[in-house]
Order: sequence, then structure tokens, then C-alpha cells
Amino acid sequence: MPAVTEKYSLGVPVAISRIDQELKKLWQQNEGAVTRASLVNLAVYSEEPGSLERNTQLVAKITENHACRAIVIEADCKATEDRVDAWISAHCHVSRAGSKQICSEQISFLLKGGCTTLLPSIVFSHLDSDLPFYLWWQEEFREPMDPQLWAWVDRVIYDSQVWNDFRAQMRLVESAQEEAKQRIVLCDLNWTRLDNVRFALAQFFDHPASHHHFAKIRRVRIDFASGFRSTAVLFAGWLAAQLNWRSEKADVANKLRFVGPSGRKIYVELGERPGEPIGEVAMETPEVEFLVTHAKCGDLLEVSRTKPGEKSMPQLMPAAKNDPVSLMSEELIRGGPHHVYLHAVNRVGELL
Amino acid sequence: MPQPCTIVIFGATGDLTHRKLIPALYNLAADGDLPPSVAIVGFARREKSDEEFRRDLEEATHKFSRQVVRDEIWKTFAQSIFYHQSEFDDESGYKRLAKRLDEIDKNYGTRGNRLFYFAAAPDQFEPILKHLKAAGLNETCQGSWARVIVEKPFGTDLASARELNRIVRSSFTEEQTYRIDHFLGKETAQNILVLRFANAIFAPLWNTHYVDHVQITAAETLGVGSRAGFYERAGALRDMVQNHLLQLLCLVAMEPPTDLAADSIRDEKVKVVRSLRRWSRNEIAANVVRAQYTEGAIHGDPVSGYRQEQNVNPDSKTETFVALRLFIDDWRWADVPVYMRVGKRLPKSATEISIHFKKAPPVLFNKDLSDLNVLVIRIQPDEGISLRIHAKVPGTSFRIEPVKMDFHYGTSFGKASPEAYERLLLDAMSGDPTLFARRDEVEQAWAFIDPIEEAWHAKKVAPELFFYPAGSWGPEAADDLLARDGRAWRRL
Repeated sequence: MPAVTEKYSLGVPVAISRIDQELKKLWQQNEGAVTRASLVNLAVYSEEPGSLERNTQLVAKITENHACRAIVIEADCKATEDRVDAWISAHCHVSRAGSKQICSEQISFLLKGGCTTLLPSIVFSHLDSDLPFYLWWQEEFREPMDPQLWAWVDRVIYDSQVWNDFRAQMRLVESAQEEAKQRIVLCDLNWTRLDNVRFALAQFFDHPASHHHFAKIRRVRIDFASGFRSTAVLFAGWLAAQLNWRSEKADVANKLRFVGPSGRKIYVELGERPGEPIGEVAMETPEVEFLVTHAKCGDLLEVSRTKPGEKSMPQLMPAAKNDPVSLMSEELIRGGPHHVYLHAVNRVGELL
Repeated sequence: MPQPCTIVIFGATGDLTHRKLIPALYNLAADGDLPPSVAIVGFARREKSDEEFRRDLEEATHKFSRQVVRDEIWKTFAQSIFYHQSEFDDESGYKRLAKRLDEIDKNYGTRGNRLFYFAAAPDQFEPILKHLKAAGLNETCQGSWARVIVEKPFGTDLASARELNRIVRSSFTEEQTYRIDHFLGKETAQNILVLRFANAIFAPLWNTHYVDHVQITAAETLGVGSRAGFYERAGALRDMVQNHLLQLLCLVAMEPPTDLAADSIRDEKVKVVRSLRRWSRNEIAANVVRAQYTEGAIHGDPVSGYRQEQNVNPDSKTETFVALRLFIDDWRWADVPVYMRVGKRLPKSATEISIHFKKAPPVLFNKDLSDLNVLVIRIQPDEGISLRIHAKVPGTSFRIEPVKMDFHYGTSFGKASPEAYERLLLDAMSGDPTLFARRDEVEQAWAFIDPIEEAWHAKKVAPELFFYPAGSWGPEAADDLLARDGRAWRRL
């Protein structure tokens, strides 16, 4: 089976008009030995040179747990000639249940020239029918946003950490969503990155007996790694949205100010420190400090509560991995809309 | 059983003969399905010898046959192919033809059986039929038969279809007439009846109580190509909806026939067309969208707009896309909309029927599920059936996602489906008209189509002609047709 790749080859070059026939041939050759599986259409779009190979590696890993039809696109929009090259391949993995190989197919495209015109036609022609369509957009969004393309997207996945202008980008995504006349779920990998830290902090308040602390929070400290300020601001946005804090204009960029429901001021300090995207979060009331920090050993979070006169009993929880495969896998497991994310963005949009 | 015969193809130097008919007959021969005594006579205007004709056909068959052409099979097959040069309106040409057919009967054992295939332009049908009758070729001696296969378009409206029927009837009886619609020869089209009437699980669900709506899509990536002359006069509605799509709808919506006899099935099909709700002019504008492609991209290649195609009027109003919202006003389908769309220069080439079932009650799991259960019947290119159901994603959370159970003819039976023309030619040789349209079916279909064409060509307030870029799924107005009902086109 020449086109089935255990590793990361782009596979067999094919004429675009023959992709369906060639895919069919690929599966007919291997009927019985492998099973084709697909639960979603996952299109990955990037304009970075060499991204086709890099994204093929990512897709190979992602398909270990998420069978899909992958459409991987690298676009060189500045090229003077209009040209599209295509490849087909399959990522096969031995199933958990036995020796049968479960395979996901990948169609790769290298677009040169008129990207805006070519993209919808490429995507529309190669979706696996009746399955949801997830679009992983690795670039900044730019106008024009093709309404027909967006009308087909169920979930758009992006990483706001790399955006230069968060508000302008969100405006584009939201207007595309509006024009598309359908509910596109916005999935920000920058938000997914926060999942485990959010769960770790939230678990302090699982018991209603702890809820009285909410009204006493005065200070929050969030340590972030270089390049992850937006991640830290989103975390502050999450706290503000969940605890009904209103943001106030801050004089210093990394010292945020919020006002709680009773008019109480809350100070959120963002500090840059080498390490994980969100290295540590400390939340203080006059009596207690809640701390989430990365444990020294392995991929774990250490959570602790410190109160004068009380012995601190740190606990360990799993920490998220900050690599694209883990973030995407996490995102693909989830369903439904990200209401909490949107609330968080609303609280801190102007700070991002 | 197919019987020995001579197949006379009128318009033998045309595209249809080269691309479809001869490759189909060759494949039947290669699979051993063709009776041993079958001769083929190509009737056309151009000067050509038997040898030249055979060489042209061999080249075409190499190109268009679904299986690799084997020289030894072709040689035997080609021995029974002949070329007959004549103008269509030259009486003496038919007399010579009659003589030649008698000789073939003697030499090849074709037993006086004749199958006349009209692959010529429709305006030639009348002289051909007149001369066939004059030469006595519509009649046969006892124990043999003469049949005529008429290619679409069967008329351009109800009046012309009736006139054509009258002309055909003046030479051949209805029992001798086979009006071909190649969609009906497709394996999955035939399988619709099996799916519906051989599987008890679907029968109780196949009605207004459980079906939310039906969609039929016939999409092609190709533009108008070399058919501009014909297409300019026809358009998508006449070219595709009047015949192929309505035939598919009939198979999906018909009541169970009393038996599998050709007329029992055709009796039920015609009732469906007769039950289609007719519209006033205003209702046509609200329920039918017509559009034309503009420049865009197909498979990554830029393509020109319809009006820029060769032999197309730069101000043409011919539709290359039609979307319709239909209702079948009978007991089974009351208030179930049927959405049809057909178009050229769409992103994919695919013909599919989908049955969208109603949602489960909005309690328990179904509160937030927007997807419906969908049964998809793929007519072409990847013939098969799939069913979309909901399943819980493994894990601790309760996430429900649509999954698809898929059946592909290509991989399930280990044998490639025959081309539609193979099946239909074989049926005509066997005298089985089940998969051919009857006179009343054709006329009823035109009776439904005519008011739409009339509204489009009205001098005052004709419904708008929309535009869509090549490579898209049609104009926004087509999406709105469903959006108004809170629905959307299926993603193919």
C-alpha cells in the first residue's frame, strides 16, 4: 500500500480532478486489511512555507485518537502563478480492540496564487459528506471572509495567542459567523491551553461551603511565559465572567483592575516569568491564598490553599501539554458551544 | 433473456455512440452477457467504410470502457459491426438498410430482430421514423420483433412531447417504444425499490409521519462544454429535472406496485408526477430558483462563466442551476417538502437522494441536537447507501455526535456495477421496458415543467435569474429556499 504512511509523507501526488477515484482505489486495494474511519472533516489551513509537512505530522498524531478526513492546505498567496498541487495519503493506527488497522485519509493541497478564490472550491469539493466540518485556521483572519465557506463550518479552531490585534480578529470571526447565518462554534486553542489551570482553581470552590470566599477576593497574580500575555488576560477574563467582575481602565498594562458586584476592587497582576504558558496563579482573600502552580516533577499541577494557622496540604492534578497535538485532541473531544469562553472574551476584549 | 438482434444506431458518428453505446455493448460482450448473435449497424451521413468505423469505435472504447479492452474480445466483437452511410431523409438509404439487415440476419443469425437506437438530434426523429415505416422496417415477420429506443430530450414541452409521441406511434406501438433515461439504469436507482420494498424496517417510516423532508441533488463540475448549442435552448430544468430528477423522485415516493411487471411499476410512478403540486406564477417565483454560473474555480483551475463559453449568447438567460421546493399532494407525502437542485460547475460531481427523518422528541438527549437522521442513496459516482445516526462519543462526558454507516457497491460485492447503458440495452434486447419511461410519464412530467418555463419566459415580471460563481454550491437564493423552512441543503 504505497500511499499509506506510518510516518509523515504527503503520499501520492494526484490530479485534483481524480482525487475521489484515487482515494477509492487506495481503499479497494486494502479492503479487509484496513478500515477507513471518519467522524469529522478537519481542514487545516496555513500560509507558512513548509507547513504542509509539519501539519501532516500533526494530523498523523491527531488521527491516533480522532478519525477524520483531513484536508491539509498550504497556501502561498503571493505567488505570481496560479497553481494547485495535491497528494493523498492515509494515516493508519492499530486499533485498541485488536490488530485491525484504522485509517484516516488525508488530502493535501499546495495552493499558489489566488488563495481567496481557490480555497472554497478546494474545500467544498473534498468534504466527506454528512460529517461535521472543523476548520483549523492557523493564520490571522483577513477580509474578505467568504460567506459560502463559513456557512459550512461547524467549528472554527484558531489560536488567539499568535494574533497581533485580538479585537480586530474577533470582529472578523464574528462578522463571518453572522454572515454565514449559522452557528459556528469558536474554538480558541489559547483558551484550551487554560483548561487544566481553570479546572485546578475551580476545584477549590466545588463545595458550596467555600463560596463565601468569592466575595472576598482582592488580589490575583497570574504568571505567564513570554508570548502568553493574552493567555493570562483570558484567564483573568474567565474569573471576571464567572464572578461577575467588571473591568476598569488600568494605568499599567499588566496591572488590571476589576470591580466586584458589591463595588469591591480586585487587582489582577500579570507577571512574565520563564516556564509554562501559565506558570502560576495565586488568588488571595484577606484570610486565604489559593495557589495553582506547576509541580517540579513531570506534567502536573500542584494546588494548595494556605491559611494562617492551617497546615497546607498540596495536591497534584494533571497539567495540560502545550503542544498543538494535545491542544487539538483536547478540543476535538469537546462538543457544544464555548459559552464560557465568549463571556470571558467579553469581559477582557479591550485588554487583549 | 436478451435475444439475438441487430442494433441499428442512428447518429452513429456522434458522441453518445462513441462514449456510451459501443463501450457498453463491448462490456456486455466481455462479461459474456451479450447474446452470441448480435450485430451493430451504425447509420450516419458521413462517408466511412466498415473498417474505418470499427477503428474509430475501437479507439473510443479504449478510452471510455469501464474495463480494459482485450484485443481478442474486441476482434470478435468488431466482426459484427457495420457502417451504413445515408442521409436521414434519403428513402433509398433505408431500402438499402432493409436489404443489408436481411443479409445480416442470414449471415449472423440475428433472426430478424431489430433494435433501432435514435442517438441523432430530435429534429431527425420524424424523417427517420417515416422512412423506417416506408421501408417496412417497423414490422417484422412472425416470431421476431422491432423496437425503437428514443434518447432524450423527449420533446421540449408538453406540446412537442405529444407531437413526438404521435410521430413515434405512427410507426411503432407503445410496447415497441423504449424512452431511455440513463439514470434509471444505474444500480442504485434500481436499488431504491429493493431498499424500500425488501427491507421491512423502512416501510413504516417512509411517510409524512417520520420523514421531515427529502433532498435530491444532481451536481456536476463540468460546464456546458460542447453542448452549448443544445443547452442554450434547453437549460437545466429541461435537461435534467423533467426527466432524470423526476424519475428518481418517482422511485423514492411511489406506492408499492402490485407486482414487478413494467406497467405495474410505471403506473405507480406516474401517480407521483400527477400528484406534484402545481403553482401559480407567484408561487413559482417563491418555490423555484434559477441561476447561471459566472467565472470561478473548479478543482483549483480557473474557469470562465457561462456567458463567456463558446457558442453561448453573451446575454443568455439560460439557467445552469435550478433549485425547487416541491410537494407531493398525496396521502403518504402530505406536507413533506422535496428539495431538488441540479447544476453545472458545482464543486463536486454527485447525484444523491437523501431522506431526512424527523427529530426524536426534544427530551433526554435530543434537546440540543440539530442534526437529523439521514438516509442517503448515492446514485453516482460512488454508488451506495449511508445512514447517519447519533452516537455517544466514548468518555466520561455525554457528548453526542453524528456518525455515518456506509455501504459502497464498489467494495462490498467485489464486482463493478455495470454502466447504466449496459443494463438498459440488455433490457431493451430482452423486451423489458420497466426502466424506460412510458408515454404518460413523459407527458405528465412536461405538464409539471411547462408552467415554470412559461413563467421564466413571461414578458412581464419573470422571476429573477440569479448568478453563482463556478465552484460554489449555487446562489444564496437557493439556500434561502430551505432557510425559510428552517432547513439547509445537505453537505455533499
